[in-house]
Amino acid sequence: MPDELILNKEHLTSFLRKIAREHRLIAPVKNRYGDTLFEEVSCLDDISLDLESRPAMPPTHFLLPQDETLFRYKREDGQYYFSEVLPEVSTVLFGLRSCDLWAIFLLDMVFEQDFKDPFYLNRRSNTILINNPCLEPMKNCFCKSAGSGPFLTEGYDLQFTDLGDRFLVEIGRPKGKALVEKWDYFFVPATNKDKNKQYEAILEAESRFQQVVDLNTASLRFINNEVDETLWEELATRCQGCGACTYVCPTCHCFNIADRPISETEGERIRTKDSCALPGFTRLAGGHNPRQKRSQRIRRRFYHKLAFAKEKYHRSSCVGCGRCVEVCFGHVDMIRVVETICEKAEKRSSAASLQLGEILVNTGLISSEELKTALEKQATTGKPLGTQFIDDGLLTRDEIGRALWHQMNIPSTAETAD
Amino acid sequence: MHRVLTTCCFCACGCNLYLEVEDGKVVGVIPSKQHPIARGNLCVKGWNIFEFVHHKDRLRYPLIRKNGRLEEANWEDALGLIARRLSEIKEKHGPESLGVFSSAKCTNEENYLLMKFTRTVLKTNNIDHCARLCHSPSVIGLGNAFGSSAMTNSIAELAGAEVILVTGSNTTEQHPQIARFIFDALERKAKLIVVDPRRIALSKVANVYLQPRLGTDIIWLNGMMKIIMEEGLHDDSFVSMRTENFQAFTKHLEQFDLEQVESICGIPLEGLRQAARMYASVKRAVIIYSMGITQHVSGTDNVQSIANLAMLTGHVEQEFTGVGPLRGQNNVQGACDMGALPTTLSGYQNVADAGVRKKFERVWKCELPVAPGMTGTDMVHGALDKKIRAMFIMGENPVLSHPDVKTTRNAIERLDFLAVSDIFLTETAELADVVLPAASFAEKDGTFTSTERRVQRVRQAIPPIGSCKADWQIICELSSRMAYLMDYESPAEIMEEIAMLTPIYGGIYHGRLENRWGLFWPCPSRDHPGTPFLHKGSFARGKGHFECVDYRPPAEIPDDEYPFYLTTGRIYQHWHTGSISRRITMLSRDEPDAFVEMNPVDGRRLGVRDGKPVRVISRRGEITVGARLTEAVPEKMVFIPFHFHEAPANILTHDKCDPIARIPEFKVCAVRLEKVQ
Ligand code: SF4
Ligand code: SF4
Ligand code: SF4
Repeated sequence: MPDELILNKEHLTSFLRKIAREHRLIAPVKNRYGDTLFEEVSCLDDISLDLESRPAMPPTHFLLPQDETLFRYKREDGQYYFSEVLPEVSTVLFGLRSCDLWAIFLLDMVFEQDFKDPFYLNRRSNTILINNPCLEPMKNCFCKSAGSGPFLTEGYDLQFTDLGDRFLVEIGRPKGKALVEKWDYFFVPATNKDKNKQYEAILEAESRFQQVVDLNTASLRFINNEVDETLWEELATRCQGCGACTYVCPTCHCFNIADRPISETEGERIRTKDSCALPGFTRLAGGHNPRQKRSQRIRRRFYHKLAFAKEKYHRSSCVGCGRCVEVCFGHVDMIRVVETICEKAEKRSSAASLQLGEILVNTGLISSEELKTALEKQATTGKPLGTQFIDDGLLTRDEIGRALWHQMNIPSTAETAD
Repeated sequence: MHRVLTTCCFCACGCNLYLEVEDGKVVGVIPSKQHPIARGNLCVKGWNIFEFVHHKDRLRYPLIRKNGRLEEANWEDALGLIARRLSEIKEKHGPESLGVFSSAKCTNEENYLLMKFTRTVLKTNNIDHCARLCHSPSVIGLGNAFGSSAMTNSIAELAGAEVILVTGSNTTEQHPQIARFIFDALERKAKLIVVDPRRIALSKVANVYLQPRLGTDIIWLNGMMKIIMEEGLHDDSFVSMRTENFQAFTKHLEQFDLEQVESICGIPLEGLRQAARMYASVKRAVIIYSMGITQHVSGTDNVQSIANLAMLTGHVEQEFTGVGPLRGQNNVQGACDMGALPTTLSGYQNVADAGVRKKFERVWKCELPVAPGMTGTDMVHGALDKKIRAMFIMGENPVLSHPDVKTTRNAIERLDFLAVSDIFLTETAELADVVLPAASFAEKDGTFTSTERRVQRVRQAIPPIGSCKADWQIICELSSRMAYLMDYESPAEIMEEIAMLTPIYGGIYHGRLENRWGLFWPCPSRDHPGTPFLHKGSFARGKGHFECVDYRPPAEIPDDEYPFYLTTGRIYQHWHTGSISRRITMLSRDEPDAFVEMNPVDGRRLGVRDGKPVRVISRRGEITVGARLTEAVPEKMVFIPFHFHEAPANILTHDKCDPIARIPEFKVCAVRLEKVQ
């Protein structure tokens, strides 16, 4: 079977119907109130599939539910008995957007790397991902700037590109292939003409973005410690601490673990979605809270998305879905913050350079002589100090990042919690 | 998993959200993106709303007190006992010895039924609910000035205002979605004036922030109006055409001495002048206020004063203007609308009016009591001297929410009989003779009316847990046992009766609420689209009424023995007496304990460090709480939230009330602080 196929649009429902019979099918549906949400679809007849609007909550909601039971416990005759609750439903996610799919790749890294999380990984290995490139970006979408869309070249199990009356279906991974092979009679091989049409459609889509968001510069400014710290104080006057910016974000994945009694003798250990925007998030036993101030919490969120993730996963963990832009109570959102960081940093650069230099000298990474030379050079090249060090081969980005991270005293407990 | 759209049961912003249901359990929540208020987001309470529904402490079966202890019982016995005891006491001591608390947490349909039950079965007008403790001064003050006590304009209009004046409302914490519209307005370059004794979050983004002393609002309001008059910034033609009693009002205002603004209020006159010019010189200006204005012995006067200010500048009767009393509870507007009040039937129809009574009597097929009812605060006092002997309380927790806990508890304990229906065993339910397990908002159908008069559907997501019943069913069954048949099939049927008897709800039917985001009352007929802003072109009462208002100091002010002002209120994470919110993991993690906010200078003087315990003592009692040092409160003033039963702020407050609205002065009393060694 070729890797590129055509599915006539009139067969989409029939294909999905087959899927729904054997798997849990999750797809974007516009409900009677006008909200588009990823829904579990068991019957295809009375729903209206909506591939145009961005579903309000990201699909990662299904991989990391708001509230999930890890195990149950029971106390009998002074003994505790435990039973684990592992999720095992075969799921097909249809109508994903490229940004959301990228978010899933990021989560895969998070949950595979340091500590293998059986709950996430179990769900994930039981999930088939079908991507639909966005040909019409919405007002606040910026996946193009984030390098996560509007279409993908790999990573999906299947990718369905809308070509008007038909979908170009690309097979990415074996699970996708199996799905198509099982019901191969819906598909015909794609022609070169179809491929060209896809290419045109995507070019067209790429030209339609209303938002250009310079995540790279913002990340660099963060890493080089060139961000004006008063920014966080200002944002803190507008943030209300609802937590939504993290709840709606497809790459956020912090959780809180607690025990919830069901009766006098039984209970469950649960994990619920948590948010670094909430005051209790980093409170340590004993009541000391290293990030008690709201400004510090906001700073951390952006630091984490733009700088920390870049260090660790070599890309920012904002995939440009635009959700946080539309829900914030006080317009504290990724687009705004990146714009402000890029703007304000210009003015602050030199002061920041000095500060960064000091930190690097203090941590023993460079000598004060080296700092002096670099500052002189920087005056002529106009490069940020950090970049200057990297370009001169004196330091790596990793080293600078670590030094800053250390300096900012981000406690290790918080780091492992998310 | 499936999702059910419903209305949030915390505050009166009225966000619509989807409850996520799996295997008959509510497991999650997401906001509606299309809903005009939620707009894809909820406050932290909303995001965590699902968790309390299945909490292990939920009442799951009725309880009857036997040998001093509450023991498990069946519905038959529990309802039978309530019916018998209420009838006996009514027989013996007369209907005026019975009292009922309805609930702003319950649906419109339930409030309507309970008030019908009180009047037809118990034959008394002794019914009230917590609006007494929050917006009774608005009901009276705005009723008197405009002819209607609700928010004059819709929430979304805020975003189009040029100037917004916020006073006595910590909007970002208590009405987050309204604050969101204020931020939207600021984005469009609107100006913000904040007048509040506490340096609340909004004050940091305000163009003008004024910090009056507690309980001195009439001074700055009168001052502001005097400045406006002196500078000729008032709206002459509006005042002459649309209002009455202006002559007397100006004459009275002339005597006001602007000196007092600084001496009594502590506000620099220049600042007030700036605010006055800002507010009066634009066309679209809005006033937002809440408990900081109403919970005073001068609450009604405060509200009247605010109405004066809006009329003086012509900032009513138009889009993007008006006066917005922000309602607290999810359905406190509705509970008032439904007539869970001692003086009015549904739709603010006066009980004293024989014509009104006749109209209801025709449909209810029984004679209605004429004697005016008692307010909630008076019923509690009445229990003390045995004027009230039995009470039925639906979903309220007066033991913690009323002022002066000791006196309230004492009063409730003196009752011959108390029945409570609630979802948890509250401090009040613990004192009851019979406790009925009620269904939560996730387990029933009905409607809530939000602060902007938007009537919205509450939809059942799961069957009632345990043997719980929805309050409307409880009332039907109780009533039928007391020889007055109530056999409604559903809340929709109750709403049909409400529509028939209540002109402002005349066109509101469940079916009509389905395919839109609710309806704004007044909505007099089936084809009426609802009314987003009131008084268009003319006040509900005809002409707007100016009232002459004089400053009256708070009932208790600091002295040598009790040198600190205490003010009470709520915080973002918790809801009222905490019976719901403190059982939600995330909310109680973020705010686990009671605290007292005090200025760092006072902290230093007392030798109290942040987080360390302090004893707060008033003439009524004392509590010990952790200190939270913050510049948000000025020196010599402290703030304590009232959510925490282990350190109830209302042990400290007094029960002196506004003479007209009978609202207690939760916002001011005097205390002494002691460091705990
Ligand atoms: S969405 Fe906005 S208001 Fe809510 S926590 Fe995030 S930044 Fe704060
Ligand atoms: S930070 Fe905002 S725009 Fe970026 S991925 Fe998260 S929700 Fe989307
Ligand atoms: S408590 Fe109020 S603001 Fe928060 S979600 Fe509920 S209705 Fe909305």
